[in-house]
Amino acid sequence: MIVAEQKPLDEIKGLLADAGKVLVVGCGTCVTVCFAGGDKEAGILASSLRMATRIDGSPKDVTHITVQRQCEWEYIDPLADSIQEADIVLSIGCGIGVQALAERFPDKIVVPGLNTTFLGLPQEQGVWEERCAACGSCILGLTGGICPIARCAKQLLNGPCGGSQDGVCEIGHETPCAWQLIYDRLKAQNRLHLILEIQPPKDWSTSRDGGPRRITREDLRLAAEAAD
Amino acid sequence: MPGDCHYLEGNVNALRRVEYTQKLLTQIGVDGRRLRMIHLSSAMGHQFAEEATKITEEVRALGPNPLRRTPAPPEATAEAPAPPLEEQTS
Repeated sequence: MIVAEQKPLDEIKGLLADAGKVLVVGCGTCVTVCFAGGDKEAGILASSLRMATRIDGSPKDVTHITVQRQCEWEYIDPLADSIQEADIVLSIGCGIGVQALAERFPDKIVVPGLNTTFLGLPQEQGVWEERCAACGSCILGLTGGICPIARCAKQLLNGPCGGSQDGVCEIGHETPCAWQLIYDRLKAQNRLHLILEIQPPKDWSTSRDGGPRRITREDLRLAAEAAD
Repeated sequence: MPGDCHYLEGNVNALRRVEYTQKLLTQIGVDGRRLRMIHLSSAMGHQFAEEATKITEEVRALGPNPLRRTPAPPEATAEAPAPPLEEQTS
């Protein structure tokens, strides 16, 4: 899932500036599961902003609404009337949700209430860890299902480095060495031969180095859209 | 008592959430010290009275809730007419 966390309230208040009517838009997918931008959080944030702006002496009319997915047109189109009534939209979806709203409703100011942080999973309730860097060229088949791009601080392909001590990365005691994990996993699976293969420098053109990425599936496109 | 809840460690979890709410209230501008949680059993009436008196004195020292000084705008509403999640297609 996409993992995010809420911005500090003071920063959000700054983004709202002089707007009188604020619509907080939550998202019912990833950011609901990581307790950052679901319906519950949208309600709490709207209530917090109503109280905080009253105390500041410039009360705002803050309402909230949540859609199942902010990242798809079909789900955000029904928001048109609610958004029309607002002076500003505070999205607590991920960065994709914020941009989808801004793109669909270009006349409205849309600001983010979250910092979108990483692609990961809940390691335990209340703890989320990064697992994927969306590099566009997956090598998990060679590394025992443990990603050295997302989980090694140096993104090494032929690790570990000298900073690996007792299975822990030198960046901090809570970060396990990804290459220690890979070694342990492959050893347990009797597949250590995989670690002996020297990996050439990674082609980063499939990642951010290649600029914004786009996938087109002609078999899925609708004829009318493909003709545009 | 902590960890001795009908819901096992539920009151320990609740305390963490109260602490989070205290931080939220402080961010809002309502001093988080206005809210607190204490662990008491139903047989601890005396301690309850002591804690209630202590909390009352401490909150009184903080002064009135700042929200009382600034009434809500008359047009302010709590929620937008949101379609419930379950009514949306998935």
